[in-house]
Amino acid sequence: MPLDKSVLERNFPEFDFRVERGKIREYALVLGLNDPVHTDLEAARAAGFEDLLAPPTFVRQFWHENPENDPMPHLGYDPKRRLHGEQEFEYHKPLVAGMNLKGRNAIVSTREKEGRRGGMMTFVVIETRFVDETGELVQVARRTLIETAAPPKEA
Amino acid sequence: MTTTLEYATWEELTEGTEHELTVGPITRTDLVRYAGASGDFNPNHHDEIYAIRAGFDKPFAHGMLQGGYLARLLSEWLGPGSFKNMKLRFNALTWPGDMVICKAKVVRRYEEAGERLVEIEANATNQRGDVLIKATATAAPRS
Repeated sequence: MPLDKSVLERNFPEFDFRVERGKIREYALVLGLNDPVHTDLEAARAAGFEDLLAPPTFVRQFWHENPENDPMPHLGYDPKRRLHGEQEFEYHKPLVAGMNLKGRNAIVSTREKEGRRGGMMTFVVIETRFVDETGELVQVARRTLIETAAPPKEA
Repeated sequence: MTTTLEYATWEELTEGTEHELTVGPITRTDLVRYAGASGDFNPNHHDEIYAIRAGFDKPFAHGMLQGGYLARLLSEWLGPGSFKNMKLRFNALTWPGDMVICKAKVVRRYEEAGERLVEIEANATNQRGDVLIKATATAAPRS
């Protein structure tokens, strides 16, 4: 189904994202990150970080997102045809455990294009900006969500 | 006592320098653990019946699981916390049983506004040679 345009008019409120040691450790271990800066406080401090360092893709965890603050569930996409096409991160400050971030989601671009096998594909880019307690920018994440024209087989 | 990793220095990272990491075979347990760690419970990644009804042969990996492996390669090579940006483009799906072969290469080494930077091109492929992800990143490794 086409993009529900009413989502473009909507403002999504700021949300809290508390960065926890346990979640950083769990996330690092699942990916097999062997670097102790993610799992061992002493090693993280010896490397110059204030606390356990989050792995580079950590803010793409979904724990901080819900339908109140995230446009994704309101795009009108068929969940069976929804793909994560691209993911981008900008790093401004080290993301470490104990930080209390404020995040905000916004749709920054949309486009439609004819699919290879006919039908329209929709592309939406959602940007999430995370700032720390002092209001300084920590990270920006941008995800491109695609609704494919037909049920996808192997891409 | 934990072992600290050795990261490459900016001086060592001349254009054309390569690095790689192979992960796998990917198991369904990896998918479930990633769902739990990330909070992404899209049923396509763990529910067989749901995935089949959606037109897939079986559950497949989260794009960000493979993306996380690629980021792991870059982080353990260039140093954690050294990144300026990273962009991942998802190209093909990873199925349980597949290998994820991550390769990265320095395409540019330069100085800008007093910072020593490298630009990286990377990709992840499976054992059949299909490109799973294409990635670019900019980092400021230690000197």
